[in-house]
Amino acid sequence: MKRLNKAAIITQLTTKLRDSGSWCGETHIQKAMYLLQDLLNVPTEFTFVLYMHGPFSFDLRDELTSLRADGLLELKAQPTPYGPRFAPTQLSERLQEKFPKTLAKYGKAIKFVAKALGDKRVDELERIATALYVTKRRKSDGSVQSRAECLHRLKPHVSVSAAVKAVEKIDVLDKQAKTST
Amino acid sequence: MSKQFHEVRDPIHAFVRLSTNERKVLNSRPLQRLRYIHQLALTYLVYPGATHRRFEHSLGVMELATRIFDVVTHQANLTDEMRNLLPEVTNDRDRLYWRDVLRMAALCHDIGHLPFSHAAEKELLPAGWKHEQLTAAIIRDGELGDILYNKMKLQPDDVIKLALGQKDAHNLDFSTWETILAQIIVGDAFGADRMDYLLRDSHHAGVAYGRFDHYRLIDTLRILPSPPAGEQEQTPGDDETEEAGDETEPSFQEPALGIQEGGLHTAEALMLARYFMFSQLYFHPIRRIYDIHLKDFLKQWLPDGRYSTGVAEHLRMTDSKVIDGFLKAAQDTGVPGHDPARRIAQREHFNRIYQRHPDDIKITSEPGQAVFEAAKQKFGEENVRWDRQPPKGGAPDFPVQSNDGRIASSMAISETLNRLPVPSFDYVFVEPTLHNKALNWIQTKRKDILESQEEEDHEKAQ
Repeated sequence: MKRLNKAAIITQLTTKLRDSGSWCGETHIQKAMYLLQDLLNVPTEFTFVLYMHGPFSFDLRDELTSLRADGLLELKAQPTPYGPRFAPTQLSERLQEKFPKTLAKYGKAIKFVAKALGDKRVDELERIATALYVTKRRKSDGSVQSRAECLHRLKPHVSVSAAVKAVEKIDVLDKQAKTST
Repeated sequence: MSKQFHEVRDPIHAFVRLSTNERKVLNSRPLQRLRYIHQLALTYLVYPGATHRRFEHSLGVMELATRIFDVVTHQANLTDEMRNLLPEVTNDRDRLYWRDVLRMAALCHDIGHLPFSHAAEKELLPAGWKHEQLTAAIIRDGELGDILYNKMKLQPDDVIKLALGQKDAHNLDFSTWETILAQIIVGDAFGADRMDYLLRDSHHAGVAYGRFDHYRLIDTLRILPSPPAGEQEQTPGDDETEEAGDETEPSFQEPALGIQEGGLHTAEALMLARYFMFSQLYFHPIRRIYDIHLKDFLKQWLPDGRYSTGVAEHLRMTDSKVIDGFLKAAQDTGVPGHDPARRIAQREHFNRIYQRHPDDIKITSEPGQAVFEAAKQKFGEENVRWDRQPPKGGAPDFPVQSNDGRIASSMAISETLNRLPVPSFDYVFVEPTLHNKALNWIQTKRKDILESQEEEDHEKAQ
């Protein structure tokens, strides 16, 4: 996918996440983009690896910084102690208007992810996104238990019971995604 | 009695000390090769002093990484929370093992670099290859692997993880501890790699912009929990959020390299130093066009237009070989790459006709590309070059510990970091005999050119 098409998707995802109540820090966008790519199969082609708070893309981090340099996103400082929030700019609205086909094609997927994750805290996002990572990218017998144990091995601070719930949540989202997008 | 430790004089850090086994690593062929790889490629054609090599930078990164490690793992600098989370810091044997791993990872982190460092690496390696894969292959095998594994009893994969970090060692799983250690070397905010290259490049190029109080900075670094990423962190969820996990699960803030409040100003100075060095040195337009001429030369001169990814061939290939190649090619019209070689050797580089302007991105998101496409039409493809360097890395957001122990985001308490510009460069160059003509052309046609940039969808709607 070309860079500006991706930029249209990222900026619209940022808008929709904020509309759905997300704090919209970098972690929130990273996990939402991961679900968009690995659960909804939107071909944004970012490379995700397991990092802090679960799946993370260094390419996406660079791209978010690049979008700030291009005036398409702003990073707004928040009162102490909180981390900053991303916000779309007027320029990003103009960019989105130039990509109606891309946004028509992936708009439902963007809306789905934003609705599913908009109210989630970072620790919840970490569990859900890592559950998807384990489901899609790690070998297992496919059972909820084995995927949850794998998640717990990768992120020991996530208990097995919490991991089970996160894997179950991903299975539900997967079914919903197939029927609603 | 033979010496147990050996000293190397260094213009930045005074002395860098190594054990006998570490000196064997330093004396190995992959490390010695770095004596022949310029740290800043052809920058010495613009800043004549910038002839320093990756060899001394690697020693410097080892020195700084060790200092950081010793500060952040000192018992007095750790909270109980971090000791519980990172048991390696309380076990002397583990701590010393990882200190050795860290030192060797820092020393070896650049051994996969191609001649002239980053210049056009993407186009000169086979698709999907990066120099970091060569770094991993060299650490794992052969002479270096033998010293690390058999003499020093270090696991090569541990060294690879810390040398490359998650970004480039993504086939390996990292523990929280390993993530912190990799941040000490290659981290975005306080990595020893970044600290050393800013100080060293600034020193050799003769520009003051890269300096900052690294002594104070390192002294105030700590392993700290990440600051809360939003107000939601303080108000655990409703019914729906409980589906995702366990509502009784305690909130966990992943640890990261952060800083005590007293070091905040020097952290700001580091971030500003990086911004200034990118603006003044790393993305100096003449330096950039020399990189492009070098890439053009290598694409014609190298067999199949690419570097080999074999370790043996890689170790034979240095800047000296490439310099010899372009100096000969510059004199002989029959040698592949003659024209770009001549431009480097005789300083007949292309000249800049366009650089990104804030007003232009209000018209199109890719102004350099718009000018490049139009200039190609007007002056011919062979006479125009485009160099777009989007920014890398994230925002300067790291945990800061106040004197009363509270943790906050650096961006919530530092106005300087909030206002730090994002460096981004976009240049178009033309052949020198066309320079004035092209400048006049762009002066009169700029608006039309920028407005002509096609930005609409290229994909079919479904």
